[in-house]
Amino acid sequence: MPGWLEVVVRGVLFLFVLFLTTKILGKKQLSELSFFEYVSGITIGSIAAEVMMGLENNIWHGIIGVAIFAVLPFFVEILSLHSKTVRDVVEGKGTVLIKDGKILEDNLKKEKYTTDELLQLLRGRDVFKVDEVEYAVLEADGKLSVLLKKDNRPLTRKDLDLPSINEKEPHTIVMDGEIFDEKLASAGKNRAWLKQELDKQNVTIENVFLGQVDASGQLTIDLYDDKIEVPTPQDKPLLLANMKKCQADLELFALATESEKAKRLYAANAKKLQESMDVLSPHLKG
Amino acid sequence: MTVGADIKQCLATIKSIEAGLSSLAINTNAEDEQQLYHEQMMVIEEIKQDLMKRIGEVEREEEQYKGF
Repeated sequence: MPGWLEVVVRGVLFLFVLFLTTKILGKKQLSELSFFEYVSGITIGSIAAEVMMGLENNIWHGIIGVAIFAVLPFFVEILSLHSKTVRDVVEGKGTVLIKDGKILEDNLKKEKYTTDELLQLLRGRDVFKVDEVEYAVLEADGKLSVLLKKDNRPLTRKDLDLPSINEKEPHTIVMDGEIFDEKLASAGKNRAWLKQELDKQNVTIENVFLGQVDASGQLTIDLYDDKIEVPTPQDKPLLLANMKKCQADLELFALATESEKAKRLYAANAKKLQESMDVLSPHLKG
Repeated sequence: MTVGADIKQCLATIKSIEAGLSSLAINTNAEDEQQLYHEQMMVIEEIKQDLMKRIGEVEREEEQYKGF
């Protein structure tokens, strides 16, 4: 076999072997969260490259090498699933670098991180002032996890005492003009509904590149033809606007009428509508 | 526009709000949201009834406002 053909054969073979190995080891290998995964990831790659290009090497030796670095971490993984001690040794523990807003210099030194590197990691987490950090941990994989002080955390609905809204995930029901019935079903819709919605927006299914349904059943689409302007769903804002209009109308009627009874009726209904609007507006906005 | 027509227009909007809420309630998957829309639909329904009653009165008092 000529050398170039050998390289092709070995290349394809090892691509296949590596693919299988990572499939078996799963997502955790790809994440390289722990020392073991990091090391085995590098080594498997090197072995594959070495055997592929170094034609004097035996293919089977290469495959055995890869297998060892796949099987051993696999068993260590299983062991560490069951034992915290094994886990701590193999995967390592996080090191606290900032506590109560103060940098722990000793821990920093122990991990051999310089102040510049700490600042760099913090900047990676969008923190430019150490003062903003309450607690920071250097994880086993070298990433920094940061807990900001309460004052510096992003505002949430809870902070504003807004009623809680539980929004479900959107479903992608059309990709590349192809309808996914399974997704459609899990969104609680069917093809007839989709057709109706598309007709409403005056587009054909062939023109839809991507279509998503949100939890409230609104369809948003992206078209192949980018010249066509797709209207954003207006049902909810329109409803809210209508409610506001009606509420104003009712108040106006209450002022305009001369009958005392009618005045009361209008005022009471205006109030009712206002209350209903207050309840609905968090759901109808956005 | 006359008062009667104004009220009728308002009634039409109320009806459209009711229908909008109804369609939202049908389309949404979240159960609590569904319930919320239903409850608010009831409120709107009450307002609708009141308005319809008022339209009846107005039409009785002022013959010229009669008719849809």
